[in-house]
Amino acid sequence: MLEMLHRYGPDLLTGFGLTLLTWVLGTVGGLVLGFFLEMARRFGPRFWIGWPIRAYVEFIRGTPFLVQLFVLYYGGPLIGLRLDALPAGVLGLSLYGAAYFTEILRAGFDAVPKGQIEAARAIGLPGRTIVWRIMLPVMMVSALPALVNFAIILTKETVILSMITVPEIMFQTQTMMSETFAFVLPILILALFFWGFVEVISRFGRRLERRFTHYLLEES
Amino acid sequence: MSLEPTATSPASAHLRAVNKFYGDFQALKDITLDIPPGKVTCLIGPSGSGKSTLLRCINFLEEYDSGEVRIDDRLIGYETPGGKRMSGRRLREMRCDIGMVFQQFNLWPHMTALQNVAEGLERVRGLKRAEATARAREALAKVGLADKEANHPSRLSGGQQQRVAIARAIAMQPRIMLFDEPTSALDPELVGEVLAVMKQLAAEGMTMVVVTHEMGFAAHVADRVVFMERGELVAAGAPREIFQHPTDQRLASFLQGYRERNSLDF
Repeated sequence: MLEMLHRYGPDLLTGFGLTLLTWVLGTVGGLVLGFFLEMARRFGPRFWIGWPIRAYVEFIRGTPFLVQLFVLYYGGPLIGLRLDALPAGVLGLSLYGAAYFTEILRAGFDAVPKGQIEAARAIGLPGRTIVWRIMLPVMMVSALPALVNFAIILTKETVILSMITVPEIMFQTQTMMSETFAFVLPILILALFFWGFVEVISRFGRRLERRFTHYLLEES
Repeated sequence: MSLEPTATSPASAHLRAVNKFYGDFQALKDITLDIPPGKVTCLIGPSGSGKSTLLRCINFLEEYDSGEVRIDDRLIGYETPGGKRMSGRRLREMRCDIGMVFQQFNLWPHMTALQNVAEGLERVRGLKRAEATARAREALAKVGLADKEANHPSRLSGGQQQRVAIARAIAMQPRIMLFDEPTSALDPELVGEVLAVMKQLAAEGMTMVVVTHEMGFAAHVADRVVFMERGELVAAGAPREIFQHPTDQRLASFLQGYRERNSLDF
């Protein structure tokens, strides 16, 4: 076992690094894109912007991530979008995440009491300030747990990138399995890795939640 | 953005033939009304009579469909009467001269009392943080809440929250203040502290338009009382005329109903 770890350790570490990288980039990309989609949907013209975004969300939610990834990676070149595996994976993950993040943000923004927005408008605050200073912090109370939850789901979706040959940790584990014919140990290592990874994100998420809800937890 | 106060004198407001529809329902019917500067105008009437809608047309939170609403002589909401909407910047510029206090306080829950008051000063009036904080403290002191500046709204009583909301509005140095049933969401024992702050503002010569069910306040503090019913302006006059010598039948029966419910004499 030690010998196996010694031999595959560096590859596993590289895979671990790539999993981390794709997750961070995919999640941040998904959040940013999801936020802009929500802003466009909320403040843009309904017909030209609202409907296409809705169709996009429905497509992403209605098809498996693997299928979307194949469409992007193998179908992209047909429309001149030729991407290497890694950028295609990150882009795919971002596009996938954005559809879900934008829905979570929509529900969050909808839950901001209308009166608080009116009070901001009545005082003369500009729209952008209202979004950043009032709506976002207020909606985080309800949206943050769902956002963190989906970010956690995304950690596990990264393994699908192995199907388009991104050498992330699943890919490395599969290589290790096929070369050594040992299955239990590599897959256990993989499971432990994800468990630990998700645990770190959960803790971070809880700290973030406390930060956004501290005013609700103050003792009166 | 920095929008300095344009003037400090109290403003007047003028409504001409204002109509407002929600689908087929007409919420305001041809309202013409002058709000004199430096005076307190109370809007009374049954629920659903259009008082709040009228009030909210004055700062264009509610978009009126036809007619004119002017602050002093400046039309609010539209470039010209019946014309296209005014730019967001110009609307904001006008709005920061119009303070508004809501029934549900509408404080921002993630900010302390001080931050609630300082936010507009910093981000609309463009004051430096230290200056905004100092002015916010003055406003909080004025409503008697200097010692609560670090509290979040969840740690304030309803009356205190409403006083913070008043401080948030007056810190902007508005030239006219709109109050939308400011005491209706309060426990009866907390109503007094809010009315006291409002009386103080009135005594300082602020132009105030108050939608209220507090007939005592209307009778004693208002310079002019306006009675509305079903979207129409039915009667307007000095409190004495309105409360003691109502000439209109609908006004008389509204007051009669109020007296019976509250067994009050004013």
